[in-house]
Amino acid sequence: MKINYIFFLVPLLLSSCIEIIDDLSIHSDGTGTFKYSINLSSSKLKVNSILSLDSLDGKKVPDLAEIEEKITEFKNLLSQEPGISLVKTDLNTSDFILKISIDFNSISQLQSGIKSVLMRLSKEKDQYAIEEDWISWDGKTLNREIPSAVTSKVKTFEYSEMDLLKSGTYTSITRFDKPILKTSNSNCKLNPARTASMLQVNTFDLKINNSLIENAITLTP
Amino acid sequence: MKHTLFSVVILMSAAMFGQKSELMIPQEAVTVFSINNLDLLKKIGVDQLISYDFMNEIHQELFDGSTDNKSLKDAGIDFDQRLNIFYGKTQHMEVSGFTFGITDEAALFSVFDDFDPLPSEINGAKAYGSFFNNLVIKDKNGLLIRVEPIESYVISMTDSIWFSRGNLSPYYQGFDLDEAVSDDELMVQDISYELLEKNYNELRDSIQYVLQRQYLSEVFKGLFQEGKSLYSLSQPFREVILHPVAGVFYMDNERNFDRAKNLWYLKSVLPSLYLDIQELYQGNIITGDLVLGAQSIDFNITASYGEPLGSIYMEMNDAKFDKRIAKYIKEDQPAYFTYTINLEHAYNKAYEIVLPLLEKEKNIDLSMNVLTLKLANAFINKDAVFDAYKGCMFGTFNGVKKVKTRKIEFFYNEETFEYGERETDAEEEMPIFTLGFTTGRPDVPELILEHLSTITSNFEKTPTYWVYNKAIFDAAPLYMINTDGLFILTNDEDLAKNHPGGYGKAGLSNNTLKTIKKAGSMSGFANLKAVANQFPADFLLPEQVPLMESLQGKSGTMSLRSGKTTLQNTEISLSYGFESSEDSGKHLLDMLNTLYLLTK
Repeated sequence: MKINYIFFLVPLLLSSCIEIIDDLSIHSDGTGTFKYSINLSSSKLKVNSILSLDSLDGKKVPDLAEIEEKITEFKNLLSQEPGISLVKTDLNTSDFILKISIDFNSISQLQSGIKSVLMRLSKEKDQYAIEEDWISWDGKTLNREIPSAVTSKVKTFEYSEMDLLKSGTYTSITRFDKPILKTSNSNCKLNPARTASMLQVNTFDLKINNSLIENAITLTP
Repeated sequence: MKHTLFSVVILMSAAMFGQKSELMIPQEAVTVFSINNLDLLKKIGVDQLISYDFMNEIHQELFDGSTDNKSLKDAGIDFDQRLNIFYGKTQHMEVSGFTFGITDEAALFSVFDDFDPLPSEINGAKAYGSFFNNLVIKDKNGLLIRVEPIESYVISMTDSIWFSRGNLSPYYQGFDLDEAVSDDELMVQDISYELLEKNYNELRDSIQYVLQRQYLSEVFKGLFQEGKSLYSLSQPFREVILHPVAGVFYMDNERNFDRAKNLWYLKSVLPSLYLDIQELYQGNIITGDLVLGAQSIDFNITASYGEPLGSIYMEMNDAKFDKRIAKYIKEDQPAYFTYTINLEHAYNKAYEIVLPLLEKEKNIDLSMNVLTLKLANAFINKDAVFDAYKGCMFGTFNGVKKVKTRKIEFFYNEETFEYGERETDAEEEMPIFTLGFTTGRPDVPELILEHLSTITSNFEKTPTYWVYNKAIFDAAPLYMINTDGLFILTNDEDLAKNHPGGYGKAGLSNNTLKTIKKAGSMSGFANLKAVANQFPADFLLPEQVPLMESLQGKSGTMSLRSGKTTLQNTEISLSYGFESSEDSGKHLLDMLNTLYLLTK
């Protein structure tokens, strides 16, 4: 099991019903907070049954202690990255909910910090996918997409595994200090104050069409 | 006399060599499936046959189009000969493959076109090789064989050489630190490496290659130079192969015992005890006939063993089925089994036979364990112990049901898109099982449950059953019914809440009950459609998944009955019933494939 991708891949591999939220707040000065939550509580039986196995599809299944250890390692490594502060992780091992919160000085530092840590944790050295950008911010427009490290892995799922994604949701929330002028994704909802956007997609649909979560959010000047 | 007879057999074998493909099965084979009636397979496509797990050796032929739309007849296979599929494992190697008769070599190679000619040192034989496999053709018989060294052995040998050369672990975790090294420094390092020195993986591959060639040579030497085949060495195999049935099965359990991994400690620390126990397993051979009926395939198995083990089995199987179980198994249950043994008799007999073997050992630890066993035997009230578990048990698969669990879900504030968490009901699919046994001491499980309920509030008692909440994977409840001399564990809410006294008229019919009573110690039934197609693969161990996949898409039923147990053997029958309109040849292969996976 690719323990190093635990934040992105393991939930998608294991879950029959999964809820993922990424919640990004960007302030006018470029600083902000990124929160990432994975909720597998409605698949407790399945997750527990898989965790009880030694291996799955020929790959080792980590136990909870190993998962916790890897999350701590991720937290410690990320805390040392430039422009990153206050990294918090919380793993609820009875309901299988993982929450990560990261404060950052700039979007580029957030991205390079996460990339750097994933590359260091990746034993398989398939770093090409990790090196790709999945977010950019020029002070006016924020462009977001799903990292190809995730989409390429999901595309290798067997049909039976695909079926497992059908009832999951991926929610992407982005918050700003200023109102939003426009968004490129027509499924994106804005709050009444137009300072936050929400894009919610089905994880199976997302596998079929990974551009569903792509969004360019432009703020009012 | 025995020696003379053996020599005659060898001579006869040698004389017959070249006439029957089963004579080319190597002595290392532990399991053999032999299909006698190849007429049944005439309609089977080559690509269909090759796709079975037991044809794993030539799966690659499926991908180059050479097998497309070809029948076995097109492949030059001799239908007057048996197709013998074999598998074997020793301490150091795994051997698998099959032997068959050939009518047309050119046709054979038009289908199996991955094989290239090799120089052959075998007199009168032609040899061919593909990436993994070897094919030997001698006197119109073919032996397709794959010999692989055991991976753990290859790795231990590689490790030994690797570390003796002063290398660090191939999984050295300091690579990340290397990222700090500049490109120039890395270049200098690369130049300084000894280019002829193999890295770990190259070393492992080389060792694997050398061992593979060595083992293949050993197998061929035994088979073709020394004339030692399974046929020449095993009298039970020679006997079973003559049975006039659709197919036969042979498994040498004595050698399976010898290669059991968990016995390495016994073998190395207490070698004489190991030999004694090995002696107990002497003659432990399972043979079986596959009998093809109009709508069924019957697999009649004879498990043979030596007299000491036989005497334990006889005592163990001297038990009566407890009919109270019948009301907890529905007549239309997707799958169930019953197992009836006389545990007290078996214990006494095992004590009588095994204890003297243990006593002979001079090992101090073992000697103290023997003393403990003797004291326990003297002081413990065995009648009370064996009354608590009276030896009759059953298990059922009740299908897949949604079970109620709790989940955390996120909810959103539409004004701010802030979110919170709340706990709600959820449902997940889970296989539903029931497991129960007869007891003459219902007070014992009650005592345990009462005690556990004082430790955790998850144990609750109702008038008719106990429930242990969140017992299964910390989510689903487990119900326990302690009634009428039966103790039953189940995750079937319907059984616990609505039928704690049994299913009444929906339980097993009198006819079925009679069959089970006649069956001896074991009986089982499975509706393949209900079991293989419903059972969630996530709850299976990885090695069990291919077996379940092999059953998927099948209709029909499978039933198991054990028969008479004697000092020499026990008979077991496995019957596979199918729709009459379906192709019996295909069913035979399906059944064979399932058995192959079970025994591999």
